[in-house]
Amino acid sequence: MALCLSLSCSCIVVAQSTFQFGALPSINLNYKLRNNWSANLKIESRQLLQSGTFKGVIEKDYDYVLTDYALIMAKKIGLNARLSGGYLFRHREGQVIHRLIQQYTITQRLPSLRLTHRVVTDQTFSANDDTEYRLRYRLATEVPFNGQSADPKEFYFKINNEYLNSLQSAAYDLEIRLVPLLGYAATEKQKLEFGMDYRVNSFLDENARHSFWICLNWFIDM
Amino acid sequence: MFKQIVFTITFLVFTICSDHIYAQKKYESESRLKEKYVPSTALDFINALTVERKVKWYLEEGLYRKSIEAKFTMNNRKHSIEFDTLGNLEDIEIRIKWGELNRTLRDSIGFYLGQDCAKYKIKRIQIQYSGDPSILLPKIKTGESTEYYTTRYEIVVKCRSKNDVNLSEYLFSDSGQKITVSQIVFKNSSHLEY
Repeated sequence: MALCLSLSCSCIVVAQSTFQFGALPSINLNYKLRNNWSANLKIESRQLLQSGTFKGVIEKDYDYVLTDYALIMAKKIGLNARLSGGYLFRHREGQVIHRLIQQYTITQRLPSLRLTHRVVTDQTFSANDDTEYRLRYRLATEVPFNGQSADPKEFYFKINNEYLNSLQSAAYDLEIRLVPLLGYAATEKQKLEFGMDYRVNSFLDENARHSFWICLNWFIDM
Repeated sequence: MFKQIVFTITFLVFTICSDHIYAQKKYESESRLKEKYVPSTALDFINALTVERKVKWYLEEGLYRKSIEAKFTMNNRKHSIEFDTLGNLEDIEIRIKWGELNRTLRDSIGFYLGQDCAKYKIKRIQIQYSGDPSILLPKIKTGESTEYYTTRYEIVVKCRSKNDVNLSEYLFSDSGQKITVSQIVFKNSSHLEY
């Protein structure tokens, strides 16, 4: 977290750093199956509202960027651990992108919060680009405003911090994400979250690219 | 024919009952409670214990009932005292270690756990006292009491069976007989995983 913040701050002062600002709404359906299996369907759309450089030209045109459809099948392998595999279909400006996903998650239940560690490897394929390989680690925590976990009709604070290592055509890049969210547990099976998804990449050997996405997440457990 | 009917009915009753026992679910939501909302009877009991460390109050909401719980550390042991919503004492639980149980009790508990689980790990043991508050108060303060009270053991176990792994809460009598078992239900964490 400290590394992320210091990197972010140091990068912001670079004049030629670029930025994107937009919206990233998503619907996340989680369906429990037999024998400790579950299926997760996520639909996420990205819309650009502004882009440019921090001290330069800013474009304020609305631009639809992409939509992701991801289906992940997960198997509970421990008391709080899950092993998953899935496929993501991305539609971006007429181009189709495929991604294979392998994921391991483990949730720690502490006295006043829950911590979830997630390790993901994924491989992205498209007609125009070389295959991209990524190794990701994300730490997510939910801090309820009252009690040990968010109950129906209660608010909670959620924060994700993720580090994405990417390798494509022998070029390495690191992306860091920080996502603070305000959540509301409408019912036992439905949660709404609102916040900002901040991402920074390309800062290792060139001008950093910052992205600020307004998030509106809807989680439904079926 | 009659024997077959009796056998069938007995089998069905046994199956339904045993299924009911093992299908019990324990779901609790716990939220902090300000001291001003704690019933005076419960407050009086805790004050009489003269606890030096801070006492934290919680409202526990289970599937079918609510209760009020005081948690604190006394004599280097974690105490949890449960009251009903009117402030009447329900039970007192004190965290202990597996090694503190006598050999016979450990063997008996181990036997039942071995029956239910292919592999198990004990996560938490609490000795549970229930009875008249006037008897339990000196018991908790001095560790001794000459009058009758009930002693039980609440044990949280990570239980691995052939196809599943779960966390279960067992209640054993003071002689190590299994009284109840309920599977602890976790809150969904899909919003943290995806």
